Amino acid sequence: MHRVAITGLGCISALGHDANSHWRSAVEGISGIGPITAIPPEKLKIHVAAEVKGFDAEKHFEPVKLAVIDPYSQYALVAAREAIADSGLTFDHGLHDDTAVIIGTGIGGAKTINEDSERIFGQGKIRTPPMSIPKLMPSAAASQVTMEYGLNGPAFGVTSACSSANHAIGEAYWMIKSGRARAAVTGGSEACLVFGSMLGWQALRVLSVDTCRPFCIDRKGMVLGEGAGVLVLERLEDAQARGARIYAEIAGMGMTSDAGSLTDPSAEGAARAIRQALEEAEIAPGDLHYINAHGTGTGQNDVAETKAIHLALGEAAGHVAVSSTKSMHGHGLGAAGALEAVITARAIADQIAPPTANFTMADPECDLDYVPNAARSMTIDTALSNSFAFGGLNAVLAFRRLH
Amino acid sequence: MSEVDTKTVESKIVEIVANQRRTDPAKLSLSDRLEDIEIESIDLVEIIFAIEDEFDIDVPQDRDAMKLDTLQDVVDGVQRLINEKNAA
Repeated sequence: MHRVAITGLGCISALGHDANSHWRSAVEGISGIGPITAIPPEKLKIHVAAEVKGFDAEKHFEPVKLAVIDPYSQYALVAAREAIADSGLTFDHGLHDDTAVIIGTGIGGAKTINEDSERIFGQGKIRTPPMSIPKLMPSAAASQVTMEYGLNGPAFGVTSACSSANHAIGEAYWMIKSGRARAAVTGGSEACLVFGSMLGWQALRVLSVDTCRPFCIDRKGMVLGEGAGVLVLERLEDAQARGARIYAEIAGMGMTSDAGSLTDPSAEGAARAIRQALEEAEIAPGDLHYINAHGTGTGQNDVAETKAIHLALGEAAGHVAVSSTKSMHGHGLGAAGALEAVITARAIADQIAPPTANFTMADPECDLDYVPNAARSMTIDTALSNSFAFGGLNAVLAFRRLH
Repeated sequence: MSEVDTKTVESKIVEIVANQRRTDPAKLSLSDRLEDIEIESIDLVEIIFAIEDEFDIDVPQDRDAMKLDTLQDVVDGVQRLINEKNAA
């Protein structure tokens, strides 16, 4: 078995177009939530989201290539390029054959689906652009990353709604741990702020009308986000041998399913995933320092997640710092776990717990230390990042500081 | 709105709720509490969707819309939204 190091980070989100901006904004408690600009407001009842701002795709892609890459893959590529450059990996000496590419997404090419639907059902046309299918498939981002870097190892997309990125990163971690791959480019991507998808979320009535206030008594729901996060993972011994900077180790992964409700989360299912991650990482509950919570800001998640943390940690729950950075970068669905893994890795590297922004007053049923509104400098040797999806699919990553 | 229209609203809503619960509308009464007839949050979301479609109204996204107690509350709320729409 191999230990697994995080040596590269890349990110694009409402907080910025690179991992450092994403992290710095989160630490400073600057929210990326604002008015939706991508869709005319008169067509919507919900008017806030955490949009990626000022993204000029033509600056990143040749026009010919742009025509065949959905924004969801564009975000993944931008984040992958940053993460790979950050890691300094060159994939030579055969490493390209042993590098996995595993990218999660909740939907895939939502914009392409939306545009095709508009053509077919709105305009009554009977033809779609020929590259629609390879643009919208939920494995497109993984393929695009392999092609750009000539990576020939195991590659695929992973989908489990809001847990997609954590499942992807966890799978990549296990591949390296088990020896199946020596390195991995992994994370999650989503570009779902399109009309059809927004109507679907509105109908579910889980979106906040103003902002995202996780764990607060006056929380009104989640705020949709978008973007991508990508991590470069490699064998710890390889990373050390080449003198790479190591942000943190991924040391454990828990995955469970509730087998219960499509929309109501189960505290027990989430708690089992937390326990598994801690056990694999050999972290005792009392030694856990930080949790990047799923923390969507919905009525149901925040209570169930708080309960799950109590169930999994017992008395130690009261001593762990728990924050939801979705209060700033929004809920990136299939990208969420990756946006949060970037933050969790930096939290360990920088020894700072980012805050839960927009915090007013805690819900009495949410009684943990949520690091309200201000980042906290503290010892973070160990951390978890939680993702709990619709359909009861839970995925929890455990991180460790390298000593 | 006239009395007849109110009756129509009531019977349509009872029909929608009964349909969601896969039950006979005759078994429901306006004084029934949603909790007692086992309307869970996801059922309420479906019911609101059906109501919006039936009456061509927009139920506000605010979470208060999800804090209804009895079937009568649902009827009153819908009636209010219809009145607001007619007045606009």
